[in-house]
Amino acid sequence: MTDVREAILARLVEVVATVPNLIAVQRNNTDWPDILPAALVLDGDEEVSTGNDGSRPSNRPMLVEMTPEIEIVEQSDAIGSDLTTFRRDLMKLVLADATLNTLTGSNGKISYLGCVTAFGWKEKNFGALQMRFSFKYPLKPDDL
Amino acid sequence: MSLDYAALLYDPVYGEIGVPCEFAAGELEASITVIDDTRPKQLPAGPYVDVRGMGPGAFARIPELVANGIARADWQDAVLTFNGKDWVVRSYELRGSPNGEDQGEVRFLLKALE
Repeated sequence: MTDVREAILARLVEVVATVPNLIAVQRNNTDWPDILPAALVLDGDEEVSTGNDGSRPSNRPMLVEMTPEIEIVEQSDAIGSDLTTFRRDLMKLVLADATLNTLTGSNGKISYLGCVTAFGWKEKNFGALQMRFSFKYPLKPDDL
Repeated sequence: MSLDYAALLYDPVYGEIGVPCEFAAGELEASITVIDDTRPKQLPAGPYVDVRGMGPGAFARIPELVANGIARADWQDAVLTFNGKDWVVRSYELRGSPNGEDQGEVRFLLKALE
């Protein structure tokens, strides 16, 4: 059994955990306590990119695109520059990770799609950075 | 004849649940009474994620501030020490009073002192 989607997501959590200065990394925990700075990896939507055009057989390999989201949350007196640093480190680690690039295969790719920010106040200035990546990879139903 | 809300409402309440607070702003230092208004807070960190925590705050009576020589211009960035913690006023909101806003309360919005 080879589930590339799960392998990518599991590896993505491992990669995010190597971002300097993060003290917690969770996957799909949407109700996070006050343990900061932290990163939350959310499993992404998946769409068929090519190979789903109606030709047979129905279990033929296809190319799919998954878009997981990574939320980095922190509170500090320099929240803007702190989030910028996290963004820079995370982008470099994800795009250059050898395992992730191997998982996407020769026909796939990893793309950075952009980021969204949100701010507020807790005990300090609170900020959240949502980074989105696209992982295009081959899906082979017979291998699942 | 209007009711004296300070005497009938604020003073008894502060007498029961108020705590001592040291107010410092530059050379100005004063001992006042505040109500600890630290509240649980939940902030959205994205479309699907919320982060929990707390938002520190404190109520004070404006007449007491004035009596201690604390003007409105002194509020921003003042350091408040109460219940064993130090906080900085990052903003504030006037709460008003039927006797006029200067006879009412102010809610200090606080942040942790570095």
